[in-house]
Amino acid sequence: MPVFKAPFNGYSVKFSPFYESRLAVATAQNFGILGNGRIHVLDLSPGAPGVTETVAFDTSDAVYDVCWSESHDSVLVAAIGDGSVKIYDTALPPPSNPIRSFQEHGREVHSVDYNPTRRDSFLTASWDDTVKLWAMDRPASIRTFKEHAYCVYQAIWNPKHGDVFASASGDCTLRIWDVREPGSTMIIPAHDFEILSCDWNKYDDCILATSSVDKTIKVWDVRSYRVPLAVLNGHGYAVRKVKFSPHRRNLIASCSYDMTVCLWDYMVEDALVGRYDHHTEFAVGIDMSVLVEGLMASTGWDELVYVWQQGMDPRAS
Amino acid sequence: MATHQQTQPPSDFPPPADEKPQIPEVTKPANESQQSQETAAKQDSLPSVFVNSEPIREDQIQNAIKFLSHPRVRGSPVIHRRSFLERKGLTKEEIDEAFRRVPDPPPSSQTTVNSQDVQQAVSNVQPQGQIQAMQTAPAPVVMIPPPSLLSRFRWYHALLAVGVLAASGAGTAVFVKKSLIPKLRSWVRSIMVEEETDPLKKADGQPSLAEEAVAAAKAASAAASDVARVSQEMMKTKSEEMKYFEDLTQLLAVQVREMKSLSTNIRNLEGQSSYIPKVYSADQEAYGGSVRTAAERKHYANGSNVVDYDTRSARSASPPAPSADSSVPPHPKSYMDIMSMIQRGEKPSNIREINDMPPNPNQQLSNPRIAPKSKPWDYGQAPQDESSNGSWWQQKNPRSTDFGYETTASRVVGNQNETNTMEPAAIQRQRSWVPPQPPPVVMPEAAEAIRRPKPLAKIDQEAAASDDQSGVSDELQKITKFSESGGDGSENVKITEIHEETEQQH
Repeated sequence: MPVFKAPFNGYSVKFSPFYESRLAVATAQNFGILGNGRIHVLDLSPGAPGVTETVAFDTSDAVYDVCWSESHDSVLVAAIGDGSVKIYDTALPPPSNPIRSFQEHGREVHSVDYNPTRRDSFLTASWDDTVKLWAMDRPASIRTFKEHAYCVYQAIWNPKHGDVFASASGDCTLRIWDVREPGSTMIIPAHDFEILSCDWNKYDDCILATSSVDKTIKVWDVRSYRVPLAVLNGHGYAVRKVKFSPHRRNLIASCSYDMTVCLWDYMVEDALVGRYDHHTEFAVGIDMSVLVEGLMASTGWDELVYVWQQGMDPRAS
Repeated sequence: MATHQQTQPPSDFPPPADEKPQIPEVTKPANESQQSQETAAKQDSLPSVFVNSEPIREDQIQNAIKFLSHPRVRGSPVIHRRSFLERKGLTKEEIDEAFRRVPDPPPSSQTTVNSQDVQQAVSNVQPQGQIQAMQTAPAPVVMIPPPSLLSRFRWYHALLAVGVLAASGAGTAVFVKKSLIPKLRSWVRSIMVEEETDPLKKADGQPSLAEEAVAAAKAASAAASDVARVSQEMMKTKSEEMKYFEDLTQLLAVQVREMKSLSTNIRNLEGQSSYIPKVYSADQEAYGGSVRTAAERKHYANGSNVVDYDTRSARSASPPAPSADSSVPPHPKSYMDIMSMIQRGEKPSNIREINDMPPNPNQQLSNPRIAPKSKPWDYGQAPQDESSNGSWWQQKNPRSTDFGYETTASRVVGNQNETNTMEPAAIQRQRSWVPPQPPPVVMPEAAEAIRRPKPLAKIDQEAAASDDQSGVSDELQKITKFSESGGDGSENVKITEIHEETEQQH
């Protein structure tokens, strides 16, 4: 399984929705505390070395998240630590990049997610307590959603309903929003501590998972949201990111400050179905490929990016 | 464009023009049905699923009112009060109702109150509230920092207290010695003088009296000298105590130095090899779980970690992250180094000046080479498994994709910078029929205009899905129309793909 060593600490990894062998990695210098950032576009190749860098873009501040456009195969959007949102086109030569930089958030932008159904807009979540809605062709944000009382760590579109999204915040609430409504439509006090990540079930549009500083992952059904469907214990420290599999309806992948990546089946009594401890620092980024079933990637503060098939050892050569 | 918070969305963005955002969710399905029937059936369930459909709970509102009426709560920002109630599980409607019932300006607006209980609670609290608000408002702010301060400054506090005590003891001893004793002596002398004058006054010469007086004076002077001696001893003990405390502080300083040297030794040792388990730090218990190093990022110029604790704990009504974990994840050693550097106000030396602004802010996006692919969850279950001898990442569970858009694209479109290494033609993949995608969005500006009639596009897809042959021919017709109208390269790609597809069908 190939490994990519980045010069900076990894923060996020995303597979391209167009090319099976392509992924983007967001990295930040000095653990993202203070320093530059870099976005790597990697390509998987059949032979050695397995993964190569196609292009890299340097940024003045840390890159906390990156996502691929769902409408243009060569375009990616980056969430930057100086509050800006930058758009890169890998089909253009690096000196022409970035092609856009939107400076609206008052604090670090922590996550960016592209709408998979409408394919024309994306969300950014920031430490300035707001979520913003953007379209690439517009010079400014379309909407600002300001209700959270603390940093918003992630905003994720519903995979079936193009106007609905969820946001996870440090104010310990998960909010469901509809872009056609002025405010949130649901407020779920999902955890007693900061909620770092959330993701929707791709096959059941009313179910989503949240991960928190309290080391648990909770699975919720919005139709009966007072009590979670499942509480997944097993991580030793805060769970930094959670992701529902695009291929199996009950499979969840998560990564944590305990340096492991875990796989869960929340419908099963003994939910933990896989654990990978290949990282030697906080594991902070994880993604599951939409195009190749079972293909996963993770990155962490150890500056490494691993890509592997479920069931195999990420460190195997 | 609008960046409003709770106002109506601008009319140019998605909703149908006649849909008001303030409409309660019950009437939403009626509005939704104005769109096409197909999506209306779907979206009838949409608003009712992603909203709170529970009735308002009066008991929760009562609890909220009690909370909001508390004098200490009244001093806190509104957003914290809302956040607290949200975390307790109240819905938006319940919170709004509670805020409505608890009057904001304290007295005399009791007409808005609904129930007797609330009235009493409010009226009871308010007279006290005003008095206590002044006292307690500063108190909460003051109370929050000291616990954290105490935990850090316990030793210093103790040493300070000891020092203060020693100094006060020494001061009182000096004071006693210098002022009280002379006063005592003068008093004794005055008594002695009086004693002497008394016998002198008595003419009848009673030597026993005089002797007694002398003896009394001697006793008094002896007592005075005793007092003096005792005070001197006190002084001595005080100075001994001071010496003792000085020794103590010296020992503590020595210990601290030793510990510092130990830690630097450990760091040196660990610095030699990279992937060794990390060093705990009590300073960083806040990052036990929280992502947010925001306070540090902001305050690196100021340099004080204590300031960060204060701002973080003052910012949110919830217990800040330190209390969240029972354990702190061990942070990398270099992370601690960088944090301490920043707290000292230093900047890490490896940061470069980078200009990452767009060179051409009006740069056009390059035309997409590939049409967007359908997601595996759009059409129900995941595709079948099949082992293949292809690239290592496809070995276990290859995904049967759409028509291999990539390979055709790489053949047709020449000017790509990236390598397109996936899907060597050697891989034989079973391709299940997936309805063709809508053409790529060439003019994103039209996206919103498209958004409303989008259901029509969906209906086309649905129709196509149901019938293979007719769908293919429809697509062919569509494509030929496009090519006739002079589409760009992407359309050419589509044509070859459809041709390939039709070839496979046969």
